[in-house]
Amino acid sequence: MSTHDFGQVSRTVGTVFRYALLAATLVGVVALGILLLFVAVDAIQPLTADPGWHLTFFLSFVLPTLVVSGYLYRRAPDSLRAGGAIVGLLAVTTMFAGGVVLIFVDIVSPITWFGFVLALALPAGVLALVSRTLSPGMGTSVGLSAALLYISLAGVPGPVGGIVGLAPIAPSVIALVGSIPVLPVDWMLLVVSVSLPVGLLAGSYVASYTDRRGGIVALGLTVALGVAASLAAPSLGISAGPSLLLATVVGVPTGLAVWRSWETNRLALALPAVVVGGAFVGAFAVEALGFAGPQSWVDWQFLTSAHSRIAEDAGLYPAIGGSILLMGAVIVLSFPFGVGAAIYMEEYAPDNRLTRLIDVNISNLAGVPSVVYGLLGLGVFVRFAGQPTGTVLVGGATLSLLILPIIIISSREAIRSVPEEMRQASYGMGATRWQTVKNVVLPRAFPGVLTGTILALGRAIGETAPLIMIGAPDVVFSLPAELSAKVSAMPLQVYAWATLYGSPAFYQKAVPAGVVVLVSVLLAMNSLAIVLRNRYQNEQ
Amino acid sequence: MSTDDITDELTRNVEGTTQERLPRLFFFICAAVSVVTTVSIVVLLATEAARFFSVTAPLVGFAGETVDAADFFLKTAWQPPEQFGVLALVSATILITVGSAVVAIPLGVGTAIYLSEYATPAARSRLKPALEILAGIPTVVYGFFAVIYITPVIQGVFPQTGAFNLASASIVVGIMIIPMVASISEDAMSAVPEDLRQAGYGMGATKFDVATGVVVPAALSGIVSSFILALSRAIGETMAVTVAAGSQAQYLNVLNPASYLEGALPMTAAMIKLLLSDITGGGLAYRSLYAIGITLFAITLAMNVISDFIAQRYREEY
Repeated sequence: MSTHDFGQVSRTVGTVFRYALLAATLVGVVALGILLLFVAVDAIQPLTADPGWHLTFFLSFVLPTLVVSGYLYRRAPDSLRAGGAIVGLLAVTTMFAGGVVLIFVDIVSPITWFGFVLALALPAGVLALVSRTLSPGMGTSVGLSAALLYISLAGVPGPVGGIVGLAPIAPSVIALVGSIPVLPVDWMLLVVSVSLPVGLLAGSYVASYTDRRGGIVALGLTVALGVAASLAAPSLGISAGPSLLLATVVGVPTGLAVWRSWETNRLALALPAVVVGGAFVGAFAVEALGFAGPQSWVDWQFLTSAHSRIAEDAGLYPAIGGSILLMGAVIVLSFPFGVGAAIYMEEYAPDNRLTRLIDVNISNLAGVPSVVYGLLGLGVFVRFAGQPTGTVLVGGATLSLLILPIIIISSREAIRSVPEEMRQASYGMGATRWQTVKNVVLPRAFPGVLTGTILALGRAIGETAPLIMIGAPDVVFSLPAELSAKVSAMPLQVYAWATLYGSPAFYQKAVPAGVVVLVSVLLAMNSLAIVLRNRYQNEQ
Repeated sequence: MSTDDITDELTRNVEGTTQERLPRLFFFICAAVSVVTTVSIVVLLATEAARFFSVTAPLVGFAGETVDAADFFLKTAWQPPEQFGVLALVSATILITVGSAVVAIPLGVGTAIYLSEYATPAARSRLKPALEILAGIPTVVYGFFAVIYITPVIQGVFPQTGAFNLASASIVVGIMIIPMVASISEDAMSAVPEDLRQAGYGMGATKFDVATGVVVPAALSGIVSSFILALSRAIGETMAVTVAAGSQAQYLNVLNPASYLEGALPMTAAMIKLLLSDITGGGLAYRSLYAIGITLFAITLAMNVISDFIAQRYREEY
């Protein structure tokens, strides 16, 4: 008999207490919900749309979705959850695809990316060949891969040789690709450098459920999707490159999810079908019937233009790009160190004074205010190391230091949850510590580590104070194209609008719109982390 | 023999090889980064702040303009670059911290008791992620909410409220730290052994009696340590108060509730303001940043250490 069956004698006091507690639990969530609703209404202005617009979408989109959800909720809750996951995946990948397109349009040209992929693929190929034929020791292979990577990314003798004063002998692969006089068009480069790697990943995913043939089919379909999207782009009125990227980033994960669902739980496809179908039907219907949509401030113009002194013309584009670049720098700088520190603390550290010191130190670092990290960035990277203020590199490094303790703490939890028996089994098979970490602990802990990292990145993407402290400019008009360019970020831009340009027009238009974009990105990241964690906990 | 010892036994023979040493070294360097970070924070804050006070400036061989430490810590007028009375900033920080505690502590503890004692597993699995979202919203967004949506409500009740006020800032900071109070308190409550609850029920206690008379006292050290941690977060909170609390430094009576209706400049907001106002590199105003920074760092560090100490020292062992 569990405790839930006891304690039934509680009368009024108990009941009141219970509901008071429930109310306390809900106050914060409900308050935030109301605030978010307010800001969404301010930004999207649904009341400015024609009543016919609302009616059309209600009939084509809201009503069918509600009916299908209600039916699934009563009859097949599993299918509702799986279907909801596919809809969520569609939303998250669309957002992600927007970011990828932005990167390829304004930051990295397809040719540079192509050269980069080639520069990574060539050493990997050579290394795979060497290790298969010669099976060298670990020291040799680490040295060899470092040398190959250096040669292919930087050339011979590269920047190190340049410092010593050696004449260049061979250019890097990236420079080599860039110097080829005749090149295929951008989308062909993207087919090779984006569709092919993504297809390989998709293929290995499919192959893990079926067989080699299935994997090859998935690879072929991915490449075909890329080619088709590029060829169809002109008739849709967009460029080939963005079309290919959108189709690949949105289509491939969603396609895989739909395929899995088709194999296991076909009813789950009802919800995504109704949502996507309803949205399309509704969009065509309002177009055909001539109903005007809401005068939303979050529109294409807002997402694709830079700041302006006039609130109506102000946009978030450079800030979105800045946030994406900062995230990239933060991932590269914080993920390896955070996970590495967690592995050391959990798997290697002896129980001595130094370990306890590091332990206490990490938990205290997690409590240091973000503005102090900003001071650290200002004092060390800008004043001491002489970096220019407000660059992508300085901002990324400062934010990395800020989230490092969070990544370490969550990664340690994930590593700790790997059962001790699995490690013992590995040691029992004669594996060394490093082999155990590499083959047993890390794969098992990976979903947990990933969840913690996504949550920590969410923290970094919402931080403003450290960026202000390192002197990031309030207003940037173009995307930073290199690591030493000045960078703005979404929360910083919102802050600038709310204070420096704190006129009523900005408060009513640009700020709510910026808040809606920022919060949407964060909610997407948080939900992704939560879904990952739930799935991972269910598996265990 | 513990499993760690067995592991050491098993792996001893290969411990010295390159394959094992290289990863170990890399992971150790990663862990050392955190120590280096702390050391650089302390060294940087200490050296720059030392150049701010007249007492310590000679120690670091600094001969420029300085401020008397007594003037900094005891005076109440903050008007850089002439007057550096940090009490004006501290009073605002204290008011916001107390105000956010009034919001977050009852709600956070209530949430923790509900999640740990009353909620079904299904309800818990829905409520916990929802609470995490509260902590995931960027703080600058909370500041905007305070100015645009919460201040008008407060002005409706107290018409003399300023456009920027401490009350709205306290409310949003309070909402922001609820998840912290709730999750740490709930962990402490969940760690209370089931036997204690069973014993309570066996004595004829109701669920209410058990929750308030057994679980909460048994978990008290964890609950108190969650308060301290959350309050240290409130003290260090920057953007919400920068946007919502105002930008005019003034010394407010921390015991007078009417102070909440006025705007003031908390420590963190003062740092942002200093940085945004054109401070010449290395000047007195620049160094005052570090003087506030080290004060802030010392306070939050002390609170973290105290919280840790309470959680360890007063934990009920079962």
